[in-house]
Amino acid sequence: MNSRMRILASTAAVATAAVGLAACGGSDDEGSGGGGGGESASSVTVLSSLPLQGASKDQLAAMVNGIKLALDENGGKAGSVSVKYQSLDDSTAQAGKWDPTQTGANARKAVSDKSVVAYIGEFNSGASQISMPVLNQAGIAQVSPANTAVGLTTDEPGAESGEPQKYAPTGKKTYMRIVPRDTIQGQALLATLKKEGCTKVAVANDQETYGAGLAKVMGLKAQEAGITITSNTGVQPDAANFRAYAAKIKGEGADCFVFSGVTANGAAQIYKDVDAAIPGVKLYGPDGVCESGLTNPGKGGLPKALAERFKCTVATLELKSYPGGNEFLTAYTKAYNDDAPDPYAIYGYEAMKLILDTIEKGGPEKANRAGVLEGLLATKDRDSALGKYGFDENGDTTLTAYGLYEVGDDGNPKFAEQIEATATR
Amino acid sequence: MATNTPAAGPRARRFPLLNDQGRERAGQWALIILLLALPVYYGISDLTGDQGNLSRLATNLFEGVSNGTILALIAVGYTLVYGIIELINFAHGDVFMIGSFVSVGLFGTLGLTLATGPLGVVVGLLVCLIVAMVVTGSLNVLIERVAYRPLRDAPKLAPLITAVGFSFILQNVGLLWLGGSPKSIPDLIRAQETIATVLGVEISRADIVAIAVAVPLMIAITLFISRSRMGKAMRATAQDPDAARLMGIKVDSTISLTFMLGGMLAGAAGLLYALYQTNVWYFQGFQAGLLAFTAAVMGGIGNLRGAVAGGLIIGCIQQIADNRIGTQWTPAIVFAYLILIMVFRPRGLFGEQTREAG
Amino acid sequence: MATFDSVMQRPVGPRGMTVSTIAAIAIVAFAIVFPLFFDPLSGFLGTSIQALAYVVMALGLNVVVGFAGLLDLGYVAFFAIGAYTTGWVMSGFYGEANIHVFVTSTVEALPGIHMNFLLVLVIAALLCAVAGVVIGLPTLRLRGDYIAIVTLAFGEIIRVFAINGPEIRPFGENYPLTQGKQSITPIDQIDLPFLEPLNSILSLRGYYWVILGIVLVCLFVVLRLRDSRIGRAWIALREDEVAAASMGIPLVKTKLLAYLVGGAMGGLSGAFLGPFIQVVNADQFAFSFSIFILAMVILGGLGSVWGAVIGALVLTFVNNYLIPDVLNGVPGALGLDFQFSDLGFGVFGFLLVIVMILRPQGLFPERRRAIELTEGLDGPPGGPPMGATPAPTTTRGEA
Repeated sequence: MNSRMRILASTAAVATAAVGLAACGGSDDEGSGGGGGGESASSVTVLSSLPLQGASKDQLAAMVNGIKLALDENGGKAGSVSVKYQSLDDSTAQAGKWDPTQTGANARKAVSDKSVVAYIGEFNSGASQISMPVLNQAGIAQVSPANTAVGLTTDEPGAESGEPQKYAPTGKKTYMRIVPRDTIQGQALLATLKKEGCTKVAVANDQETYGAGLAKVMGLKAQEAGITITSNTGVQPDAANFRAYAAKIKGEGADCFVFSGVTANGAAQIYKDVDAAIPGVKLYGPDGVCESGLTNPGKGGLPKALAERFKCTVATLELKSYPGGNEFLTAYTKAYNDDAPDPYAIYGYEAMKLILDTIEKGGPEKANRAGVLEGLLATKDRDSALGKYGFDENGDTTLTAYGLYEVGDDGNPKFAEQIEATATR
Repeated sequence: MATNTPAAGPRARRFPLLNDQGRERAGQWALIILLLALPVYYGISDLTGDQGNLSRLATNLFEGVSNGTILALIAVGYTLVYGIIELINFAHGDVFMIGSFVSVGLFGTLGLTLATGPLGVVVGLLVCLIVAMVVTGSLNVLIERVAYRPLRDAPKLAPLITAVGFSFILQNVGLLWLGGSPKSIPDLIRAQETIATVLGVEISRADIVAIAVAVPLMIAITLFISRSRMGKAMRATAQDPDAARLMGIKVDSTISLTFMLGGMLAGAAGLLYALYQTNVWYFQGFQAGLLAFTAAVMGGIGNLRGAVAGGLIIGCIQQIADNRIGTQWTPAIVFAYLILIMVFRPRGLFGEQTREAG
Repeated sequence: MATFDSVMQRPVGPRGMTVSTIAAIAIVAFAIVFPLFFDPLSGFLGTSIQALAYVVMALGLNVVVGFAGLLDLGYVAFFAIGAYTTGWVMSGFYGEANIHVFVTSTVEALPGIHMNFLLVLVIAALLCAVAGVVIGLPTLRLRGDYIAIVTLAFGEIIRVFAINGPEIRPFGENYPLTQGKQSITPIDQIDLPFLEPLNSILSLRGYYWVILGIVLVCLFVVLRLRDSRIGRAWIALREDEVAAASMGIPLVKTKLLAYLVGGAMGGLSGAFLGPFIQVVNADQFAFSFSIFILAMVILGGLGSVWGAVIGALVLTFVNNYLIPDVLNGVPGALGLDFQFSDLGFGVFGFLLVIVMILRPQGLFPERRRAIELTEGLDGPPGGPPMGATPAPTTTRGEA
């Protein structure tokens, strides 16, 4: 008993001393690792961190396809710099979805691998909250192909206190996103509702950072837009069905319904139950549900009769109408034999394409963390598969044009018209 | 083996608590008050409020019952398996999910679409029902052979982990089969079409189909277990496997039969769920399984009637909570009810008749 | 009762003690220098930290399930409470409040409640001990698997509260209970007295040594408890509740103490994982997590302290390292166009089944149980009803 105590005590002492040593060692490492900005290289790495397992795996497989397509088109090079790509998984088998620990590990992996100059990710806004401060301290450029949460880049209404400063401990921006934030999408949805003659709107959200955030933004701006939101309910994606909920919003007199969330969180079920309870109700959704998986009955989407009354907003316009979009569509169809790619494929594609073009423009001497970051942040008026855009001072895309999509004859979302939306405070 | 006297089995330990008659009776009353609390409260508030009648409450309860039948079918599978080998079969919910997926696959194979005539739909669905039941029944037997039988002499919790393992495997099968998002399927029975309105309650086709399939199945299983020779063997095995073996009952095949029956009911529930919800998802088995397990325990695990009652009660609590309080709180209310029931009736609603206590 | 006596005898000689002591010193020494072999930010080191945090939880759950025989399916509740403690008092979550207790100047300037990590550990352990008792109370009259469902129900209720936390504001508009499925982030880095604050972005080694310290303390506590009066009471309770009660063991106190100890350890681990993961999010606290920890305890060997340690290490490395990092590259290396990650949880499930079938007693069975099984006694009460032929055990080593 006594001897054990002594062992433990000495162990603790050794551990304490070691912790002290590590603290010093740690700060030494930062000099060589984090600051690896000055060197140039002829071979660099781009990492992506996306939840490849579980409910969202189909969308993510499409996104990884898009990323690979962009790299293959360039022959694995950006000018004279050869680019390696590694796809990391931020989900685990046990959780079946993105996992905070795994996300942190991916970000640290990017930091410790000196050849990494850019990081594509995360898919979930919640995950980016973890990787952003880590990558920020190492000065690695992070391009998110999917995050829309307001607080990641701005302190506009909808952001929490301390956002976005807490994600950039160094005070310098390292994060950019190529999708517009929810402030803009919320306005676009409200503009649509107004235009379509909705008066009383019921909103359901999936309680996640994206869905709940967007619903909150809509709630804040509804009055301004002349829309009455009768209720905003957080729903459990794993509930058996939403018939009782539908009966409740029927009692509130709702004539339009918005589901703010992603397809994987029970979107089809809730649209169907609401439709059954309120015949002729108009159904709306954001880009999280604007995909063939929800709209195409052949892919397990909504039935045709219901899809006719469904419209959704996406930050892309008709792909065929501008050169970049058309090119992407042709290339994707050729490479994967799929002429209606998941919307996320194009964001993956553009994220990689943007990084490759930036590296090429900077040349080998700027093929390092600092150089790539500087180049990416300076992006202005870029002609891309998404249209013409650049980054503003927060790292947000300047794209504000939203496309309103309806369901076409083939069951896939079809571009209907353009909605202009702006972020007002 | 000399020390393994029958009297030292699990049954002998029960007596000190069962003798407590007064507490038992008080618990019974508390339980009745508890179960009636929600409907009575909302009934009074409906009558005194601007509603003025009980049709909303009646709708809640009716939909609760029709939802609950599906849960009850799954719960019976849990309870049968628990009754015979005292295993919480965590893979059972996922067997139910496979039942849904098989039925949905068959819709395509048989060419069942919205355009199919009523006769075609009825015949087609009967074929689906039979195939789904056969597939899930066999699957359940297979799981028992591979994952539980080798562990029959192992520490009690070992098969719990293989059950979890199989649950993961089946979920992965479902994920590869139909992808990660919930899939909408053709609404063959026009599920939410109202066919009659009784006392302000709209009765939809889905409600009728669910009750029309589930009730006969539950009667059939009850009769099978109480009347048939094989049912008698099951009850004997459940009561005392060693004695049953000595009496010439083939314990292994009786256990297989139990898994077969449980799996078949899960398959039927799978088809009903698909028709009722018109949506299937690889993860549906997890939540449904959790609730069905709760239903089985609430009713008194190992007891058939209890499982059915538990399923119906949970269905009603869910509907009332969804409609009145908010869907986001529903699981908490269901589980709070479970805890309270356990506090007042530690063996569940129909607890006495289980093998452990009997 | 002859068998009872033979079970209760502990064949541990003084010579055995010295051998195991030397082994323990060697293992501890290795564990201390272990991170020096890796890059300070290596993914493997991160997984090791995770694994050690789960060791603490497995040790705690083993007290409840393994020692006292109370099947707990809601252990995630303690992880949640522990982690939320750090969210409440170690972050800027309550930005209106400005409370700083024993923190260094870096954190001093930030809004919110910021307390020293050691204090947070104590608070988390206390909160979870209380929660353990609260969860334990309704299960006192219950037996066997009824306990399982009530604990499961508590776990789910706590998850629902975590998800709906933003709606619950008992202490004013600016003080929601949780942030729901949106994250509370960042959590302060661990800051120990007399040392510079750790920084997981620069080096993980500090975090490793902190959790190793917590593991060692918990191991010591659990081993002492196991061999103490209360430990023997737990095991008597597990083996036969009625007999234990008639021998004068206070059932209520003994059971609640098991929940209390198990809960406190879950809280410690949760309070460590908060700052390590840097985020607290309701999605982390799903039922499957309880099952994950339970699988560690059973896979390791129910009731065996070293089994819980091994089970936690093995399963964490499979889940967080083997499947995502190692096996993911296999199809590519073989030239197959196929995403291994599609099979992630199927493989995890398959491994659970295989290991359990090959080693039904677990990887490192409890010595007492190994003796029972080799001597042909029946299992624990409520155990395998068809225990006709006892399975052979091959391992009986346990320090």
